[in-house]
Amino acid sequence: MSRAGNPFDYARRWWMRAILAASFLFLYFPIVALIAFSFNNSKRNINWRGFTLKYYEKAFANEALHDAFINSMIVASISTLVSTVLGAMLGILLYRFRFPLKGAYEGMVHLPIVIPEVCMGVALLAFFAAIKMPLGLTTITVSHIAFTIPFVAVVIRARMAGFDRSLEEAACDLGAGQWQVMRDITLPYLKPGLIAGAMLAFTLSLDDFVITFFTSGPGSTTFPIKIYSMVRFSVTPEVNAASTLLIVLTLGLTVVAMWVQSRGDGGAGARKEGA
Amino acid sequence: MENWRDNRSLFAALMVPPTFWLVLFFTLPLALVWIYSFGERGPQGQTLLAFSFANYARALEWIHLGILFKSLAIAALTTAISLLIGLPVALGIAFAPKRWRGLLLVLVILPFWTNLLIRTYAWIAVLRTTGFVNTGLEGAHGALSALLAGLGWPEALGQFEPLSLLYNQRAVVVGLVYVHLPFLILPVYASLEKLDRSYLEASLDLGAGHWRTLVSVLIPLAWPGIASGALLVFILSLGTFLTPDLLGGTDSIMIGNLIAQQFGPSRDWPFGAAISFLLMYLTFAVLWVRAGYANRQQGQVTV
Amino acid sequence: MPAYRPCFVPFSRRHFLQGGAAVGVSLMAGGTSAWGAETGLNIYNWDTYIGETTLDSFAKKTGIKPRYDLFADNEELYAKLKSGNPGYDLIFPSDYMVELMISTGVIVPLDHGRIPNLTNLNENFTDSSFDPNMKHSVPYMWGTQGFGYRKSKYPNAPTSWSAVFDDAAIGKHSGKIAMLSDNRAVIGGALKYLGHSLNTVDPKEITAAADLILSAKKHYKTFAEDNGQDLLLSREVDLTMEWNGDVVQVMAEDEDLSYLVPAEGAVVWMDNMCVPKDAPNPQNAHAFINHVLDAEVGAEIANTIHYASPNAAAKPLLLTDDLSNPAVYPPDSVIARCEAVIDVGDAARLYDEAWTRIQAG
Repeated sequence: MSRAGNPFDYARRWWMRAILAASFLFLYFPIVALIAFSFNNSKRNINWRGFTLKYYEKAFANEALHDAFINSMIVASISTLVSTVLGAMLGILLYRFRFPLKGAYEGMVHLPIVIPEVCMGVALLAFFAAIKMPLGLTTITVSHIAFTIPFVAVVIRARMAGFDRSLEEAACDLGAGQWQVMRDITLPYLKPGLIAGAMLAFTLSLDDFVITFFTSGPGSTTFPIKIYSMVRFSVTPEVNAASTLLIVLTLGLTVVAMWVQSRGDGGAGARKEGA
Repeated sequence: MENWRDNRSLFAALMVPPTFWLVLFFTLPLALVWIYSFGERGPQGQTLLAFSFANYARALEWIHLGILFKSLAIAALTTAISLLIGLPVALGIAFAPKRWRGLLLVLVILPFWTNLLIRTYAWIAVLRTTGFVNTGLEGAHGALSALLAGLGWPEALGQFEPLSLLYNQRAVVVGLVYVHLPFLILPVYASLEKLDRSYLEASLDLGAGHWRTLVSVLIPLAWPGIASGALLVFILSLGTFLTPDLLGGTDSIMIGNLIAQQFGPSRDWPFGAAISFLLMYLTFAVLWVRAGYANRQQGQVTV
Repeated sequence: MPAYRPCFVPFSRRHFLQGGAAVGVSLMAGGTSAWGAETGLNIYNWDTYIGETTLDSFAKKTGIKPRYDLFADNEELYAKLKSGNPGYDLIFPSDYMVELMISTGVIVPLDHGRIPNLTNLNENFTDSSFDPNMKHSVPYMWGTQGFGYRKSKYPNAPTSWSAVFDDAAIGKHSGKIAMLSDNRAVIGGALKYLGHSLNTVDPKEITAAADLILSAKKHYKTFAEDNGQDLLLSREVDLTMEWNGDVVQVMAEDEDLSYLVPAEGAVVWMDNMCVPKDAPNPQNAHAFINHVLDAEVGAEIANTIHYASPNAAAKPLLLTDDLSNPAVYPPDSVIARCEAVIDVGDAARLYDEAWTRIQAG
């Protein structure tokens, strides 16, 4: 793989690497601080008072923390799955079709991005009370789906904007039905958009406090609710420890997945890139 | 773009599920709050239904408009800086070897799986007067002073003055950029990833330099992603309240704080609703204009 | 409307009646049903605001395993309950919120017959201004707001609100002061400094207080969002206005820190246990209130969270460090000058507009 063969391998240029390194430094600066304080023998993230693992022990032993964490994961996974599907449909729809009152429709479906969270939280609470739907993980998930759909749609639509419709047309000409075209042409093309959209949805859901609070009921305390509730007294380093574990775990899984993938199609991938 | 009449079954299949969900679990509930915005606050902070524009009139008072304008300015600045940082990052990821992309994407998003509050507290630990940045600078300053003193300039650098990196508007902007970066990087990445490199190579072959290629080929091609990402960052940072609360000084109130206050301590939901809906009307107008513009552009291309 | 006069014993009852505020006493329906009819207990409280063994010892005693959910502030709690109880049995609102919840029917009267341990309470807390005779609420913990400060920076302790409002008294501490980001608390401090009640409804007094804060604002580093104690510990500021419990925590880490309530008086607060309307398990909630009022249980809670307990029977079991710490148990003379925040009804808008003006100015 020579330079001349691939002049746009920006990732190989020093200035691009410098920019990436600086950006990741920016992104990870506070994370490093957070990890460091998870080992600090002090209840507050201020002075270094010696190394300890006790907050990891406490985080492992803390059942309420586990429950909150599991609740968050359940909500985030289900809502990401559903909102990615619904958001993709919406994104494709907006990209592909012209229809009466489209401007107004677009405004309406993008509202969840615009409306301040607290306003939406209050609205959902009043709504669930009005239809007598008991508050709990279900209502949280339903609400998370609603507010993440437009984020996914925005990403999908941006992805679709460069789509070459002639591919679909060619497939149609070759006798493929439109569902087949959808499955074999459009969806594979959409993949990076789906991944990016799903990541946004998952992140939004995992970290949401305001809407979650208003739509939660007994037994559905999530991780952010737990943390915001701690603030009045003190946020314990257990939370830092738990966050560190999540980061390390995700990174580990990603690296393993990459390794497995590169073993699986390593030869083929390398050849393709070299070509 | 197709006319919906030409392919009704697909149109309906794509439209009905997300629309149903959004109307039921978003538009309908929101309509309740919209009704609140015409109501008034009862003496105990109840929401009394009425039909009055008093809340909107109050929202348009100078003091609230001032806060709105300041928020718009901060959101605009945040968007500009996010673009400066986010574009190269998205570009770098999109052009990285395929097997690295997954890891790089995860690395971009990973910090955001840590709770926002915890992350912001960590920022405070980094930026405060005795924080990591200032401590590092102080160490560097001390070493340099010692070196210069050894060379015969004892007082060359003077006393170390820690930078005030927190509790001002700058800190708010830094915090907002940090919080909203993925909302820019991910859409731009999604629209860059598909770029046909032959366009770029053609541009180079035609003698354009790298920078010209970047500016005149890459940016227009990535435009849908850039526009969506920038809009997301702008709107989200406009409505934020936690970052200015924790990183700002005594005058860092933004429109999001004002709204949160109405739904919180002030217990004046009608007023809070009115400010929220003013924001909404504003964005509605912008989106509408943008949609019209996009339609016209697409029309020109296809026709 | 009668003027709100300062209460000299802050939690004793105000002797005026609010028109229409008398809530008809509706004794709990179904009070005769057996204990077994209720299946669980849903507690709604702040996190880290309970003893480490409180829930377990209750489960052991009664066989009921409580579920413990969390809220983050009074206003959210109220917003959550006012459109209907999602299923909580026991909630922990603060003083003014109890008053508001009574007048809006969010909480129900308690059945004192089911809480024999009520007699364990210190009498100063059993007839509060916001809920006479504990008809709807039982005191849980109490405390004050005041100044956390670095002793080495203040050779003379900042005993007056002038330390944050008067240019001369602020002097070299300019830029090294953090105020609490709390509308009523900050304006309340200025009102106290000006010699008014912190519950005043007089627009002129509120305006004067806001003007005072605006003129002193240039000396403040920030309005801290309940993390002023961190700013103090990290030497970002020399003085912070904060809740006592937060300062107590950092005092444990740094001996140079101290806490006091300004001489003019400040906010005194109390959190309470209440049963919301339509609670699925009200009897279990009463049993839990009784459990908390037990001397040993009450002491374990107070000794874990280092807040002042209103439980007289628990006093012999409390940590002596806490008992002798004026930041936890301030002297009576200080308490006498403090006031609890009460809901000011329509005047809330005055405070709100003043606060916006302060933040935007």
